[in-house]
Amino acid sequence: MSEFPVSFTLEYPYTRTPGPVIGPFLTALRDGRILGIRCGGRVLCPPMEFDPDTGETLRPDFVEVGPSGRVESWTWIAEPTRKHPFQEPFAFALVKLDGADTAMAHAVKAAGPEAMSTGMRVTAQFREERAGAVSDVYFVPEDDARDQAIQPGEGEVEITTHLISLTYEGMLHPHNARYAQGLLDGKFIGQRSPVSGKVAIPSRGYDAIACVMLTPADDVELPPTGTVASYTVITPIKYRGQTETESYISATIFLDGSDQSLPMQDIRDIPLDEFRVGMRVRAIFKPPAERNIDAVGNDWMYPTVGDVLERWEPTGEPDVPVEELPETM
Amino acid sequence: MAERCAVIGLGQTKYARCLPVSMDGLVREAALRALEDAELTFTDIDAIVLGKAPDQLEGVMMPELSLCDALCAVGKPMHRVHTAGSVGGSTAITAATLIESGMYNTVLTVAYEKQSDGNFMWALSGGRSGGQGAGGSFAPWIRNYMKRSGAPEHIGWQVAVKDRLNALKNPYAHLHMKDISIESVKESPMLWDPLHFLESCPSSDGASAMVMTNAAGAKRAPRPPAWVLAHAKRTESGVFPGRDPVIPVAGMECAKALYKKAGITDPRRQIDCAELYVPFSWFEPMWLETHLICGPGEGWKMVDSGATEIGGDFPVDMSGGVLSSNPIGASGMIRCLEAANQVRGTAGDYQVEGARVALGQAYGGPSSYFAMWIVSSEPNPTFK
Repeated sequence: MSEFPVSFTLEYPYTRTPGPVIGPFLTALRDGRILGIRCGGRVLCPPMEFDPDTGETLRPDFVEVGPSGRVESWTWIAEPTRKHPFQEPFAFALVKLDGADTAMAHAVKAAGPEAMSTGMRVTAQFREERAGAVSDVYFVPEDDARDQAIQPGEGEVEITTHLISLTYEGMLHPHNARYAQGLLDGKFIGQRSPVSGKVAIPSRGYDAIACVMLTPADDVELPPTGTVASYTVITPIKYRGQTETESYISATIFLDGSDQSLPMQDIRDIPLDEFRVGMRVRAIFKPPAERNIDAVGNDWMYPTVGDVLERWEPTGEPDVPVEELPETM
Repeated sequence: MAERCAVIGLGQTKYARCLPVSMDGLVREAALRALEDAELTFTDIDAIVLGKAPDQLEGVMMPELSLCDALCAVGKPMHRVHTAGSVGGSTAITAATLIESGMYNTVLTVAYEKQSDGNFMWALSGGRSGGQGAGGSFAPWIRNYMKRSGAPEHIGWQVAVKDRLNALKNPYAHLHMKDISIESVKESPMLWDPLHFLESCPSSDGASAMVMTNAAGAKRAPRPPAWVLAHAKRTESGVFPGRDPVIPVAGMECAKALYKKAGITDPRRQIDCAELYVPFSWFEPMWLETHLICGPGEGWKMVDSGATEIGGDFPVDMSGGVLSSNPIGASGMIRCLEAANQVRGTAGDYQVEGARVALGQAYGGPSSYFAMWIVSSEPNPTFK
């Protein structure tokens, strides 16, 4: 049987409102300075909004620290990932800046692990392009430091953006792989529970009510015909990644013989004023070479038929009364 | 249970599109207000229970760790609860359970969302582009409810107007729409037919907090406590053959268990008011039926008759509800908190006169998670 690798990337630029302490800290980094905050008799760097010992709100009593300091501990990153601050090997270190009583975790650009030692002196260097982010700065061994003339930016850092990206990779579970292969072959493959006799498509590979695993022997092929159980007309809202611009029908359809509806079926070719609950419809598959199942994953929360259908079209049969649909939907 | 649980402090932030504070500052503000209401300080707190919707909404993983300083939780037990949109309700119930078990004397519970940090539509589409959002998932079920109950379309508009008018009496509410009317709801853009723009909840920043304690703690409390009579949680899968997502079995079972524990036999008569989780207007009649406050097909008639308005026989969402403020992770807790607010008699302009027993309800996921509680001004009220 075919195996289907699945890959899914979650990615979005989040924003933050850093607030009354981290905001000024980031503003200062953009301007080439590092701020700590007074907390009792100590200076905390990076600064914090609340006293970590007493929980009291700290007054915004900032004090400039560094730019040099001492490495308290470190580790060598021999194989950086694409999200690391450097693409060549570097050290992550706890740096206690001069004038601060706490250490900041940050990156040290050094020739190699032999150039790193606990107790060594390091100095801040600021990047050419600064965005009011903690990555505006990095550290080098004190002797490697260059003098920098930093041009302060304008205004306060009040909102920051963060592109967060995470890629999952794996294989479709066997029952999902059979479902996906079915879609590529122009077939709807569901599973019938031997306990309840009910048919699910797509199946989760088990009967969730009876808590029984299903096997390939429980696979059933369903016809491409079904009944509209309900629908909505979506007027697309703009957001990052949105590709829809025109209103379209999103329908819930029960394939004949199935007890679980296929949600969110796009209807593009049936006029809105003709579309209705109870309508009989047939799925028309795309030509084999154009069928795509990249969207089929192992995540049952978002059941999909992938991109294999050309359209749903009316069969012309009489409508099915709502009461005759499986259960109440 | 070993102990009775009483709510002795309530705290909320203002709900708004974007609050210019850090996430830490946000939860801190709600927590300090709850402590102030209870006339306690962080040092009186034995454990903290934190709730918010899935981490991907803001992209901050495990914020229960980074928020420890803001909530003075360092060196104390910190619990995180995670049940999608119902999480605020589940979080309140988890905190109550910690008191009832006798494990802790006084617990602080906080729920929040900083929705301006992320993109709700994207997060609810599982990170996929082209997603249709929560309204797109719920709209077919709403259409189905209308069809099977015979409800006329103006019911949804009516709930949308009622909740926004209630919100005008609540200074914390996000939306203050003085000019809202049936006409303006009806004329607002159709987003997810049959749901109009003004039948949908806003996207809010905000936090809510409660201080809970046992009977001994309640005796020392400076203001009247709200006694937790009963709570219940039920869950069902969002997808399975034969599921009824309009009136989910889990929602009915949750209500049955809740009323049984509280000794309630006739919820509509014995409960004075309710805060239900209604992010889209039609969920008011749907939950009235699911939670057995009325019979099948009767929910929309309660709305139509004005029974769910303040002054009606079963007021719903007196604070303005989720339709007026929706910091998702906090929204369920706000329902529980506002129920307590009513029975303490501290609800100000949206107080239901003489409210003695109130229901707080939350749901989450594809109508999959349910969390409900009943609070009373009396520790052991009798029901006739």
